[in-house]
Amino acid sequence: MATNTLTAQHEEHHDGGHHEPPAKVYGRQKMAMWLFIGGDIITMSAMLFTYLYLRGLNTQNHWMSMVGLPVDKVHTYSYYENLSDIPTQHLIHVAPMSPSFNWLVTGVVVVSALIFWAAERNLRKTKNRAAFTWSAVLATLIIVVAAVLSIVQLRHLPQIFVAKNDSHTLSYTAYSSSMMVIIGSALVHFILLAYLGLAMVIRSARGVLTGEKWHHAGLVRLFWVWVAVSGVIVSAITTTVNVH
Amino acid sequence: MTTTLQHAPTKAGGGLARRQNFLTALISGVVFAWLAWYIGRHTLDTTTRSFSDQVAVLTACGWTVGFWFGIGALNGPGRWLTGRDHTRADDLYYAGENQGRARYWKYCTDHKVVGVQYIIMTMVLLGTGGILAMAIRTQLLTPGNHFVDQQVYNGFIAVHGMLMILALIVAVAGPWANFVVPIMIGAHDMAFPRLNALSLWTLVAAAGLLLTTLAVGSLPVGWVVLAPISNQAGVGMDFFAMAIIVFTVSTTVAGINTIATVMTLRTKGMTLSRLPIFVWGSVIAAALGLYAFPYFLTVEAIQILDRTVSTSFFVATGGGAGWLQANLFWLMGHPEVYVILIPAVAALFEIAAVMSRKPVFSYRTAIAGMTGLAGLSILVWAHHMFTTGWAPTLGGPFMLTTELISIPTGLFFLVLLGTLWRGNIWMKLPTLWLFGFVFNFIIAGITGIYLSDIPIDNQLHGTMFVTAHFHYVFVGSVLFGAIAALAFWFPKVSGRYLDETQGKISFWLVFIGVQVTFLAMFTSGLRGMPRRYSSYSMIFEHTNFVTTMGAYMIMAGMLVLLGAVISSWRKGEPSGPNPWQANSLEWLVPTPPPLENFDVLPTIKEDPYNFGGKR
Repeated sequence: MATNTLTAQHEEHHDGGHHEPPAKVYGRQKMAMWLFIGGDIITMSAMLFTYLYLRGLNTQNHWMSMVGLPVDKVHTYSYYENLSDIPTQHLIHVAPMSPSFNWLVTGVVVVSALIFWAAERNLRKTKNRAAFTWSAVLATLIIVVAAVLSIVQLRHLPQIFVAKNDSHTLSYTAYSSSMMVIIGSALVHFILLAYLGLAMVIRSARGVLTGEKWHHAGLVRLFWVWVAVSGVIVSAITTTVNVH
Repeated sequence: MTTTLQHAPTKAGGGLARRQNFLTALISGVVFAWLAWYIGRHTLDTTTRSFSDQVAVLTACGWTVGFWFGIGALNGPGRWLTGRDHTRADDLYYAGENQGRARYWKYCTDHKVVGVQYIIMTMVLLGTGGILAMAIRTQLLTPGNHFVDQQVYNGFIAVHGMLMILALIVAVAGPWANFVVPIMIGAHDMAFPRLNALSLWTLVAAAGLLLTTLAVGSLPVGWVVLAPISNQAGVGMDFFAMAIIVFTVSTTVAGINTIATVMTLRTKGMTLSRLPIFVWGSVIAAALGLYAFPYFLTVEAIQILDRTVSTSFFVATGGGAGWLQANLFWLMGHPEVYVILIPAVAALFEIAAVMSRKPVFSYRTAIAGMTGLAGLSILVWAHHMFTTGWAPTLGGPFMLTTELISIPTGLFFLVLLGTLWRGNIWMKLPTLWLFGFVFNFIIAGITGIYLSDIPIDNQLHGTMFVTAHFHYVFVGSVLFGAIAALAFWFPKVSGRYLDETQGKISFWLVFIGVQVTFLAMFTSGLRGMPRRYSSYSMIFEHTNFVTTMGAYMIMAGMLVLLGAVISSWRKGEPSGPNPWQANSLEWLVPTPPPLENFDVLPTIKEDPYNFGGKR
């Protein structure tokens, strides 16, 4: 056998798998969270690429051509000459919502992130578990509000009436499509945050999460802040590179 | 001090987890899928054009959630939510302690079990994709053949392509980044054992969705899922897209786990410059996957939205564009080639060093080559779109970046040949496959340079030349690397050698088969035969006949290899713990390695390639 260059030494204090100090485990988990956020950044980039690409193309002037017009004009587009010809079931009453609504949702998320951040910091410093629990409850409720606002936003994306293969359908414009995927992605994140927030509340209430064992709260804070930051980035882009 | 398994408490709480296995996952997946289908049928608006697509997506979601529930993937998140974290006994139970072979059918967190599960999964995917390949080649045996009709043929092309891509993504990184990497770096397990199991079983769920596409509808989209034709495909397209989304969850989780493991669990003295080169390859591929696969997720998600809620991402009448799909897909698609290739090459570096009794030639060059390839691969995507008419002015820069790929690829050859050069080469089965790789990869690389050149690509794009080129990459190179890795680490998994005689028969059948199949396919392509057609002109008859014969030869070789794996696992020649007399840590632990690999973690003093030229 060739020279064995690896030396196995029995070392009582060097054990990578078990009985590790929480700080070491936290470091590992934090790295995983950063990697997850890295993947999330790429996903967000892909969605913004989609938004900017379609905005740049503005194929057949359909990026936002229908937004802001009265609903009846939206529906008469390209298929029916008279409004009265439109089948009743296709008369939807969707008022286009300002892109600035994104800032409202983002503002709500930022507030929830700040509350959770402060709560986690306070937990580490003062070990006040009760304060953390109630702050986490508040942050979670606020994120639920953000989720509801996102659903409202999704329901107000403008549609156009198009004819396809001898039939007709209501379609989302390129703008609405791009916004749908961005808002939908945000909604998924809010639901995930609601799960994490709820877990924080329960774990804190049960005494699993304490001033000494705060590390999972640190991880959740990291993700929460990232969601808020991503909201700011998305809102900035969708309101500046925008409609007309 | 280390808590070894023998001393640990073994009674785990909870009865549900003990009853969960692959069978319950299948049952639960089917039940949830049926429930989702039923709810969708009775609650969604049946008058909308996309009703069946909405039901299909809902069904696919039901299958995935049901499968996760049935296998036990949701137990951990559920318990974490309620503050009832796993105890040490629970962890040991999930690691498969004292469960014998049953643990291979469960949500087992032991990285070695997951590695073996990946081996089996890879073989299942390759086998299924291979059967579809044989059906495709049989259809193309003669012009105007009626073995399958055009619609079925289209579906076979798409599912064969995607199955093989999934199989090759996990062929090296799945089994060996799981089985050997934690031992190589001196760790007890992966950083996140439950995520490790999640990545494996999520892959199984994705494979289930992909196979469903064959049953529910044709796919005229190829594996690249071309838009806007994807918007017109049957409901099979919905399952196809959902399979990819679920798969990206699997690879993302696996990638995070691999990187975190190597970065945080290296034993004392295992500096980055002492890492076995395969570990570097695994980390670089995982990082590249983390970059690439979110694009895959995004493009399939918006494809589903186009089909189910009438968005207009790819529909020009609503302001969309097919080019958007092409861009997003190839932003993923080209890096993905190197997510597949880099682990195979890194495994071959490892094999070359051990089998020639020399250090890896220019270790840092090897790392630079892999890193350079990963970095460049994210800048070349538009060379797949030269003929689409998208941004013609960018053709030149993308041609340049693509041709620059030759430099890190050349470094691979330099390192491999430099390592083998004047080495005391041990001509065993892994070495044979390594030489096969070198031969095939030269052809793959050189034909790639032709295709990166815009004037030539304009002539050859969409022909069988392209098909032959990427099959030299995936079959001739990656598959050879994967089989070399299997032959190399098989003794560590099973305690037995992979049978040399059967292995050599397999090698020569596959090696000659690859040349016969794909050299003839190059000829068809150069003469202008288009891809993805179920019939062709008489002028391509002879080359197609030769190609099909070659493909049968490859299949025969793979069946011999499968026989070798099964027979060797059961009654092969015992190998002992270190049959190749290697120095890296995985060979210094017993075979099979104990549950947590090391009673006491080792300290590393030197790099693993100091063989002194001796055997």
